[in-house]
Amino acid sequence: MKCKRCKETAVVSLPSHHTGFCADCFLLFFTRQVERGIKERKLFTHDDRILVALSGGKDSLSLMLELSRLGYDVTGLHIDLAIPGSSPAARGVVERFCEKHGLNLIVKEMGAEGLAIPDVKARLNRPVCSACGKIKRYFFNKTALDEKFTVLATGHNLDDEIARLFSNTLRWDVAYLSDQGPDLAADGGFARKVKPLWRLSEFETANYAFLMGIEHHYAPCPYSGGASFTFYKKLWTDLEEEMPGRKLDFYQGFLERGRPVFARADNEDGVDLSGCTRCGYPTSNEVCGVCRIRDALRDKPVGADGAEEAK
Amino acid sequence: MEHTPETIPGERRTFAPRTITVRLQPKEQLLTMPREKTVLQVLRKLGIRPTTAIVVRDGGLLTPDREVLPDDELLIRIVTSSG
Ligand code: SF4
Ligand SMILES: [Zn+2]
Ligand SMILES: [Zn+2]
Repeated sequence: MKCKRCKETAVVSLPSHHTGFCADCFLLFFTRQVERGIKERKLFTHDDRILVALSGGKDSLSLMLELSRLGYDVTGLHIDLAIPGSSPAARGVVERFCEKHGLNLIVKEMGAEGLAIPDVKARLNRPVCSACGKIKRYFFNKTALDEKFTVLATGHNLDDEIARLFSNTLRWDVAYLSDQGPDLAADGGFARKVKPLWRLSEFETANYAFLMGIEHHYAPCPYSGGASFTFYKKLWTDLEEEMPGRKLDFYQGFLERGRPVFARADNEDGVDLSGCTRCGYPTSNEVCGVCRIRDALRDKPVGADGAEEAK
Repeated sequence: MEHTPETIPGERRTFAPRTITVRLQPKEQLLTMPREKTVLQVLRKLGIRPTTAIVVRDGGLLTPDREVLPDDELLIRIVTSSG
């Protein structure tokens, strides 16, 4: 297979785009897709201060590197969850990456916050992943607001977005369908949220990470129960193989013609948010979810296992 | 890279099955399998879709149409996250 641009031997074949590229031309293709994704949805400009959530996976690191190459003002944020084995490995990857490329990094330590995930898991009476997700979102939002970042960026790619959209559609979840997308406006005290890799597949990001020599973290979290979207991703791989280009069409069609309709339908019953009385974080309750998790941890001293009452 | 056949006198290597070595990530499995002619055929044998894994030989990426040679050492990294 020859590179479509320069006729050298191709190293990446992209059936979805009916094409293949050599290393240099692929990197150019990747850059253009990111730029197009930013411009098309007006995600941010060179005046924005962008906080990039860095998990240590290939998507978030690729996003960070590409945005900095494009001259955007980026700072990484890593949440150290204090999970033995996986957290130190992920943090090490992120720290070495930022050091190597001279990028700003903020690390928030959940151990120091009294929110180490193993403790949360030991003392909460529900699956830890939902609490863990809530804690991560809290610190992303809070750091963005406290440190005056104007945008919060995550490394979600087209496959992540498609799987989520498909799942929301199967349930006709109007609330989720009304605000899914690569661009969520600042609202109720939350920072603006963007997903600049929305035009790129997981495969494309993986090739980018490889070609750019990004060392990344793939030791799974010990609490991961096999994520819920894996099956949908498989279905879409089959569909895409039969009908190349379908994924991007489906997603773009949703953004242009689907989401506005759901957004109108959902407008009537918006919830009012006010500041958490403890920490000021926007919430629809008096005390926010993370402050309630802190309370639960305080009320159950270490070693007090067994039955717990959820308030 | 030149392959110098290590022939033991009297032995006819031509009849030995030609194999390749595959390192599968992220599981870190090492397997030896009969040589297939192309990267696509190797992936098919392993039940891996071409757009779900990157294939590396000697530090360089290979597209599915590339030829596989006997004694090749391939790294196949499955890249679809479960997240
Ligand atoms: S899998 Fe691990 S890191 Fe991911 S949400 Fe669950 S507990 Fe948190
Ligand atoms: Zn080229
Ligand atoms: Zn609070």
